This record gives sequence, C-alpha cells and structure tokens, in this order.
Amino acid sequence: MPPAIETVDLVKEYGDLRALQELSLTVEEGEFFGLLGPNGAGKTTFINTLVGLVRKTGGDARVFGYDVEDDYQQARDAIGLAPQEFNVDRFFSIREVLKHKAGYHGVPESEAAERADEVLKRVGIYDKRDERFDWLSGGMKRRLLLARALVTEPDLLILDEPTAGVDVQLRHDLWELVTELNEEGTTILLTTHYIEEAERLCDRVAIMNEGRKVTVATPDELKGRGTDTIAVRLESAPARTPDLGAYAHETTVSGERLEVRVDDGGSTAPQLLNDLEAMGHEIADLEITRTSLEEIFVDLTRSEDRTVTRSSAESSDDGESPTDGREPEREQEGVA
Amino acid sequence: MLSVGFRALFRREILRFVRRPKNTFMPPAITNVLYFAVFGLILGGRIDQIAGFDYILFIVPGLVVLGAISNAFENASFSIFHGRWNEYIHETLTSPLSYVEMVVAYVGASAVRGLIVGVIITVVGRLFVPISIEHGLYLVATMVVITSLFAGFGIIGGLVARDFDDLTVMNQFILRPLVFFGAVFYSLGTFEQAWQVNLSLLNPMVYMVDSVRFGLLGYSDLISVGILPEPYTDFAPLASLAVLTACTLLVLGIDVYLFKTGYGLTD
Repeated sequence: MPPAIETVDLVKEYGDLRALQELSLTVEEGEFFGLLGPNGAGKTTFINTLVGLVRKTGGDARVFGYDVEDDYQQARDAIGLAPQEFNVDRFFSIREVLKHKAGYHGVPESEAAERADEVLKRVGIYDKRDERFDWLSGGMKRRLLLARALVTEPDLLILDEPTAGVDVQLRHDLWELVTELNEEGTTILLTTHYIEEAERLCDRVAIMNEGRKVTVATPDELKGRGTDTIAVRLESAPARTPDLGAYAHETTVSGERLEVRVDDGGSTAPQLLNDLEAMGHEIADLEITRTSLEEIFVDLTRSEDRTVTRSSAESSDDGESPTDGREPEREQEGVA
Repeated sequence: MLSVGFRALFRREILRFVRRPKNTFMPPAITNVLYFAVFGLILGGRIDQIAGFDYILFIVPGLVVLGAISNAFENASFSIFHGRWNEYIHETLTSPLSYVEMVVAYVGASAVRGLIVGVIITVVGRLFVPISIEHGLYLVATMVVITSLFAGFGIIGGLVARDFDDLTVMNQFILRPLVFFGAVFYSLGTFEQAWQVNLSLLNPMVYMVDSVRFGLLGYSDLISVGILPEPYTDFAPLASLAVLTACTLLVLGIDVYLFKTGYGLTD
C-alpha cells in the first residue's frame, strides 16, 4: 500500500523566495501526523501543493501513490481539507454548500443530502443548516470547514490549524472528533501552532522551518532529545557544590536547593540520591522536570539559523514567537 | 455521459443566477422594454423600413444578441472572479473534477443564462411587434455558439481581473461599443462607402448579429453585401456560424489551458 503522502525533494519558489526547499516527507496510511513550524515555515504551501492550490516548482508529490499533478483527480478525491481561511460559498445555505462539495466528488444528490445532514450533526451545527456561512459565529464557521472536509469521506484529512482562535470547549470537541476519525482509519495531517495539540494527538510530527524539514520523530522521541532537571531540596545547605559523576551535565546550588541537569531524570534520580547520601547529605524533597516539546521545538527551529549564535538569534527575534508568545512551560513529572 | 461532479457544479452555477431574478433577468427585461418603446415605437415610426422590415422588427435580433452575450459574459466573469475574490472557488479546484469539466460547467451555465435572456428579449419584443422565426435550428445553433463564446471570454475576464472595476471596464468599454457598432441598430446597406462596409466587417459582432437576424427574420446583410463570391453568396450565414464555432472552441481551449496552468487560480 503506498503512503498517504510522499514527497521527494519538493520545491516551491515564489520569485526569489523558496517557500519549500527540497522537502522530502512520508506520511503512512492511518497515521496521525503533525506538521509544526513557525509562521512562514511553509506548512500551508506544502498542504496547498497536495490539493492543487499551489503548483510545485520541482520535485515529486504523491497522495496514496497518485501524482498530485499528473493524477490530480484521484489525488484530490482522496483528500478532505479544512483550511485556515474561511473560503466558503456565500451564495448558498451551509447544507447546500456541503451537498455541492459532495457532488463535486461524485456523490449522487440524494446521498449528498444525507451526508450533509450527517456531518452537520457530527460537528454540532445541524440546527444552523439553512443559514448562510456569513451568519455563523467564528466557532461554527470553524466547525463547518471541518464538516466540508468530512462530507466527501476522505481517506486523508488535512487540518490546517483547525483550532486557531477557537475556545477551549470547541478545541476539545475537535480533538475528540479527529481522534475518532483517526481510529476509524482516516489518515490525518495536522498543522498547528499549539505544541500541546501535536503532543496530544500525533503519532509523529515533522518540524519545519524556512521551507525545510528540520526533523521527523514521535513526540516522545523529540522530548527524549532534551535534558531533564532534577531539583533536590537538602535538609541543610551544602558547603560547596557536590562533585557528581559524568551523568550530571550541570550542577547548581542555591541555599538548600540543588539542581542537576541530566539526560534522563527518571533513570538517573536513584543514582543521584545514592551519591548525595554517600556524601553525607540528607534529602528532604525531590522533583524531576522534563523538557517540554515546546522547548525542543523552539531549540530546533532556532538552531536552523546557523549564521548567528543562539544568544544573538534570541535577541534578534522579531517578537513573533513560534509558540504564540507563550513562555516555555516545564512539565511536572513527579514529586517525591 | 456527464459525471455526477460535472452535474453538481453545473447545477450550482444555474441555481446561483436563477434564484436571483431581480439581479439577473429583470434588468434585461426592463432595459429592452425601454429600447423597444423608445427606438421602436417612438423613433422607429419615423424611420423608413430597412431591408423590407419595420425598424422595430429589424432591431430585435441585435437586441437579443446584445442581451444574451452580455449576460453570458457577465455571469461567467462574475462567477469566476467572485469565487476567486472570496476564495470559495477552492471548493471546485480541490475537487476531483477534470479541468475540462470545470470549464464546460461554468461556460454551459453562463450560456444558459444568456439563452434565457435572449428568450426574454424576444418575448418582450413580441409584445411590441409580431415576430416569426424563419430558421429555428440555425437560430438555436447560433445562439448556443455565441453565448458559449462570450461565456468563454467571461472565464478569461474573471481570471484576468484584479478587482470588480476590471469586469465593468470589459463589459462597458469593450463589449458594448463593439455590439453597438455591430449593425444592431442599422443595416450594412445603410453605408454608401465601401470602406465603411469593409471596416464594419472587421467587427466580429457584425457576424453574430447578422447570424441571429438571419435565423429570426431570414435576412442577412452579409448575403446582401456579397461577402462571399458567387455562387457561394447565400452560404454566408453558414460560413459565419462555422467561423464562430471555431472561435468558440478556440476560446474554450484557452479556458481549459488557463485552468490547467492555474492562471489566476493557484499560487
């Protein structure tokens, strides 16, 4: 069975700007795949190349083995797209919009009507079926985009920042729905700015920056690439910084609090406790903090800028944080 | 066999204008009542017969052409441009319809609107003067061809336009002058100088108006001025229709090419 998405050296140029740079990516059938990257990373360009809204400059792109340009009809038939923008037909009621979209995909009229009702119920806006798109609230508009993507019963569902700007309730509803769809066998490609979303939903994520693929991994693998911090509160402040083994990358002392940076907090903690007790310290409390995916993401996308040092890259940041301006959070794993 | 997808898009396009008769069918009906009343009844009574027809009857075919092709053009250009402007044309572009199906659906629906307007104008004219159709089959073929031709031009206009003003410019500053100098309100026989006739023959609208006039009234300026040499003189309407059909196919081919390359539609 061919992969749901397979691109090889995919290039898209807009004049001098290279929006996609030799992007090679494979998404297997049935996967829940996340595409992460800061604004301008090329995520939407990548998606639009698959559905035919962007014409590639070079390379290959296939959907379930169908070339997106040579076999465009088969490739597009397999895809349901919920885009970022509200690009919905304003002339008709939302029910008719869905019927039309199903019709374009070859669904006969009576079945299209049934499917339209079904997906409107599924996303929770059936009672608005006779309204036009412009009369819906922002959250309902977002739901309709998802309904339109679903009405063709796609094998590959592409969600381009589906939860951008929606309230918590809707976000959770959407998460539940797409998880269900994935469990039913639909391959899902999700782009998002919310790291938590990717971490919660995706089997694998690709991190993109400036049109390039930085890395592809599972969320756990990515988190494994970061370091953990073990914070130990001692009964009494040590006279000097304890000399620990090679596992401790960095050790700092602040009064009774000792912080040790290690690769894997969970497996290193027992050894650290033994070493500290052997040195005569009494342990009052211990806390392990894992690196969040968000921190890994920031590190990976920043390290792409090879011409400047990390500190100067931070100072030259244009203020648009790839994590939507939120401070990096550290995840509490356990408290002893 | 027309695909389900094609029929869905064609139906959507038809419904868009059928549900808005105040915007689509009422304006040409009212405008043509005014044309017939002013040019036909008030002024026409003071004008001599042209080619053996009362003036009000002579101008019916030209007004039919004017209304039909303007509406076909306007419908296609608006549909494409409005879809681009609000980006909902993506619903079509991301679907598995072939580029030929997309173009034929847009053009076909717009041609239908042009044909309906043509019928409305004929009915309005019938209220002012008795009209009998001389060459029905030829008339239908001609109307289908010229409304499709201008729907095809409308697609190009909708793809090229950068704002709504561009569409107005195309309709008002290019289409209407050509139609008005296309022998709608006069006969080529009116001209006394040969160069005036020759200049008029460079205007493609002359052939469309003449073809519809031949279909409706059985009279052709092109036969009268002898555009084809003997013994082929009487074949002028058929030659016109053949050339117009070729032009239509060419324009539709350009439309399909533009869709295929994504001109004005994709990044």
